[in-house]
Amino acid sequence: MSKRLLALIAALLLGASIGSGGASGGTAATKITVFAAASLTDVFPAIAPGNAYSFSGSNAIAAQITNGAPADVFASANTTLPAQLYAAGLVEKPVNFTRNKLVIVVPKSNPAAITSVYDLANEGVKLDIAAPSVPVGAYTLQILKQMGLTQKVLANVVSQEVDVRTVLSKVALGQADAGFVYATDAKTVPGDVTVIKVPAWAQPKVTYAMAVVARSPNQAAAQAFIKSVLSKTGQATLARYGFLALPKPVQATTAGI
Amino acid sequence: MSSSLTRAQLFSRTAKGGAVLLVAGSALGQFVGTAAADPLPDGDLAYARLLVATELLGIDFYGKAIASHKVGPRLLKRLKLAHANELQHYQSVGTILTGAGFTPAGATDLDYAYPRGAFRSDGSVAKVALELETVMLGAYLGAVEGIQTAALTPVVARIAASEAQHVAYLSTIKGLSSFQAFPNPMTIQQVSNALDVYTA
Repeated sequence: MSKRLLALIAALLLGASIGSGGASGGTAATKITVFAAASLTDVFPAIAPGNAYSFSGSNAIAAQITNGAPADVFASANTTLPAQLYAAGLVEKPVNFTRNKLVIVVPKSNPAAITSVYDLANEGVKLDIAAPSVPVGAYTLQILKQMGLTQKVLANVVSQEVDVRTVLSKVALGQADAGFVYATDAKTVPGDVTVIKVPAWAQPKVTYAMAVVARSPNQAAAQAFIKSVLSKTGQATLARYGFLALPKPVQATTAGI
Repeated sequence: MSSSLTRAQLFSRTAKGGAVLLVAGSALGQFVGTAAADPLPDGDLAYARLLVATELLGIDFYGKAIASHKVGPRLLKRLKLAHANELQHYQSVGTILTGAGFTPAGATDLDYAYPRGAFRSDGSVAKVALELETVMLGAYLGAVEGIQTAALTPVVARIAASEAQHVAYLSTIKGLSSFQAFPNPMTIQQVSNALDVYTA
């Protein structure tokens, strides 16, 4: 088992991992608390190492913010949760900051001999997915619906998890034959899982958004954090961890498409 | 379906036919939409999404081939015709999704990848085009068999015939025979796997 996988398991055992460092991601003086999607666990501290982070399923952290948890920034693996919190006056106007793709991971030994999404419908496959309330779980259901596989594949689900990293660790440990995770998560345990592509035509649009929490006493530092993520350096770091750039506005070349 | 059908006739047919509402889709009389009251099966919608993706691939490839300026005038003329055909197919198949309340994928939703040197010459363009058209033909033939909603079958079959014309022409260019008594349909999985080769 790789050191990366052990680290991942340790983080999961500790629950929502909260870490802090010496420098600030926002301003030089103010350390902020960022509540962020579990898939951002590795990249956010790399962009801004000085802050306190709490990583979990986006739905869980949105609920915590709704209940008054002391967060300065909310970063979600979708755009709907920040939009909901914005509508409720709990966060400032959200901004999109990166994109991702879903992949299937199987244990290195691939006991169910899975080579494509369609194999997930095979009898006896043990599939692990995130709960539908978690963005990655919702995206998983979207893929299955797009491909007309919902009934057949969901019949093979043996467990639903609270976040993407739990799906990843269970597959890596061989507790499931396959799972849907973000491409960026799959990269964190390359020695323990094999990645299988989800067809491009069935990929959901996975866009991340973040916002300053309205009650935050550190508005300036929170804004500075968001600026650092959107900066060239921040975007380059996201790219280095496998995240996708936001689409640039494209001039229409073919009418109707 | 003829483009001369009146709206009343369309609705009359719908009432007689039950679930599927046929609507005039384009100036050429292709249809297709569906009534929200009785949605298409997920399997049919999956086929529609896959066919939309194959058309987008064809449109992108022909667009790049035409823009490459590496193709001779004779082939170029045919590529432009094929490109126009794929655009019409895209609009027609996309209407299945819009009729069901979904937004079909657009040109910017997929990233394409072609073999190195694909746009170098008439021969290289024709080679890849033939590969793509063979997949498209197989996809539509598979859809004819696989789609459950009978009212969708005619347009899918007509598009298959169009793709077969493309295959025939490109086969001739490559010095191959495209004559087959029963060209092979592809399963949705086979088409998806074939598309994976050309999409990032």
